[in-house]
Formats: sequence, C-alpha cells, structure tokens
Amino acid sequence: MGSMFFGQYLLSKGAINREALIDAIERQRNTNLSLVELAVREGCLEPQRADAILTRYRTSDAGLEELCLEYGEIDHEKLNELCRIQRSDWLRIGAALVAGEHLTRDQVEEHLAAFHELQREADQQLEADFRACSDPETARTFVELSIFHLKRFTNGPVKLQALTEDGGGLSSGRRRYAQKLVGDREICCALDLPSQVATVVAQGFIGIPVEDDSEVVIDAVCECVNIIGGHACTRLEANGVRLRPEPPFSTESDERAGDLASSIRACVMAGEHELDVRVFV
Amino acid sequence: MARWRVMTVDDSAAILTIIAAYLEDSEFEVVAAERDGIMAVERFAQERPDIVLLDLIMPGQSGVETLGRILAIDPDAFVVIVSSLGTEDAVHECLTSGARSFLQKPFTRDDFIDFMRDLTQVA
Repeated sequence: MGSMFFGQYLLSKGAINREALIDAIERQRNTNLSLVELAVREGCLEPQRADAILTRYRTSDAGLEELCLEYGEIDHEKLNELCRIQRSDWLRIGAALVAGEHLTRDQVEEHLAAFHELQREADQQLEADFRACSDPETARTFVELSIFHLKRFTNGPVKLQALTEDGGGLSSGRRRYAQKLVGDREICCALDLPSQVATVVAQGFIGIPVEDDSEVVIDAVCECVNIIGGHACTRLEANGVRLRPEPPFSTESDERAGDLASSIRACVMAGEHELDVRVFV
Repeated sequence: MARWRVMTVDDSAAILTIIAAYLEDSEFEVVAAERDGIMAVERFAQERPDIVLLDLIMPGQSGVETLGRILAIDPDAFVVIVSSLGTEDAVHECLTSGARSFLQKPFTRDDFIDFMRDLTQVA
C-alpha cells in the first residue's frame, strides 16, 4: 500500500463510506483557516494585503509564513502566536469524522495507529523506489517540482503515493501535457491529468474561470509544465547537468516520448483526484 | 500618466492573458500580442513599441532568434526576455545577444509591475 491521506486510508479499509469522507472534508473546509485568513480574523492583516500574499503564494516559491513576514505587517512574535492558534484550532480529518458521528474517538485512535505504521513503511518504500529508478536525481527533481507547483495551482493537498516504472502508456480519460528537455541528456517530463484536475490547475494559474477541456485549459496546463521544466533545468544545472526545454505539447494519444527507454511514473493524489507525473529518461 | 507601449510575445495564450490583465489600468499599454516569433518581428516593425516582452522557448523561431531579428530592425530596441528557464547559460545567452533584462516565470502582479517600473528607469 502506497502513501495516502488518512481519509483515503479509512475509505480503503471500509471504516467509513464516501459520504462520510465528503462530510468530514466539508467540515474541515468550514473550520480550518490558512495562516493568512487567521491573520485577517485576528486583525493582524488587512484583507487587501491578504489577497496580495495569497496571489504571491500561488505564483512564487515562498511559503506563507515567509510571505507574511516579508509583507511587513506581521512580526516573528505575531507569526508564532498565529501558528499556535492555527495548530490548536485545526480540525483534523479524524476529529471531523468524530464530529459528524461517522466514527468514535476510540475508533479514530485505533485506525490512526495502524495508518501511521503503514505510512512509515510507505515513506521508506518511496525512498527505496526513488533510489532504484533509472535516474533518481532527475526523477526526484521533476516529481518534487511538479508536486510543489500543483499544490500552488490547485490550492489544495497534493501527495506522492507511489513510484513505479512502466511502459509509459496514457490511462484512459486523461490528457498528457509534456515537455522534452535536451542537452547533456534527453528527458521528457509529463503530467497525465484527468480533465477536472486540468481545469483546476488552469484556473489557479490564470486566475479566472475556464471551461473544461477548452483550448485555454490545454494552453495553461502546457505553460505550467513549461514552468516545471524550466525550473527543473535551473535546479539540475546546479548539479552540473545542462538542459534546455523544447516547447511543451499536449496529446490525448498514447504517445511515447521518442526513443526514451524508461518511464518513471509517480502516482499523485491531488485532493480526491489521481494523476501521474511522468519522467521519460 | 505617460503610457509605455508594450508588445508581448509568447506562444502561451495563458501568459499573454495574464500579462494583459496585470498591465490593465497601469501606465503600460499592450499595443501588440503575438504567439509566434516571425509574426512578432513583423509587428515590431509596424508598432515600434517601447518595450518588448519576449518568451524564450517557442515553436519555430526561438526567442533568441526573434531577438536578433528585432535588433536588426532597431539596434536600440528594448527587449526583455520572459521565461520559465532561469539557468545561467540561458540568462547569459540572452543578455549577450542584446536583451536588456530577464524575468523568470511565474511572477505575481505586484512583482511584475515593480519589474516593469524598474525597466522604465532605464528604457
């Protein structure tokens, strides 16, 4: 069993049903505040400033804590206090399930202990899988950057579940957004996304509503792949690998990336949706 | 308010949309937006914008090739490369080919406007 969210684990074990999970996630959405939302509630930050910080968060490499400090209205002391309030008020999925009377507290504790044990094993397995794959450094670079940017653009939880090598085929119902990089090596990185995720990514990137499966979505997600590819080149250059990206492209066919021999497939959960980050080396 | 005439060149319509939205209600006016390097050179010759924001990685004619053709028309053209690629090699190549500055994608509205205003100090 790969890495997963606790709610997903409970669902897979039959401890809760899908309706219970949706109810718990809804309770979390209505209760949990980001650091910036909390700062506004506590009167430490003007709402207009908060919007600027959130926009910057979606489009830069900086974390929310760093941005709150940078924007000058919150000092270290206030930030620590906000983090403390956020931690104490945070409704975890287990507590949300108890609040909705889907599980008892004792049941949550019991499942949580088993879940943590499985997660430790899953994390060790992921590390071993990274080390064993054809090009660990490149795979890790693309997978980490993809998860980082997907979190920003979807504004939600994104988690690496499993890493495998396979034939590189495109699962049905997904579109491939890819980019080749050439130079010291030839690599192709790709996001295989179902249309719901592509739409969310495109909206997060452009900042305006977009229609499912439209040209705008395809164009925007290709540009997201271009950003991941460009940043990967920058990161790999620091390790002495010189690469240059080609223009990104999108396909619905089962297109392989030229003659590249190996496809490293990272299965990723973005909220409730599954997607693949692929690296052809 | 002085209006700076800007041309944007990027094969991504999303980026052209984002830049146009960021520059709305500012002292910058987008007078041309092209998704192709060859068309961009023609539009440059017609419009003679104050600032060209030029993507680096484009199908067909690349950003560096487009830069060279724009500078052949006007050696004083003020061309800025806007790219997701931030490698030392890429930045060095662009600046030695005649680009005046380099901006790495992605960027926020505030950062972008600040960057554009800094450009006007030297453009």
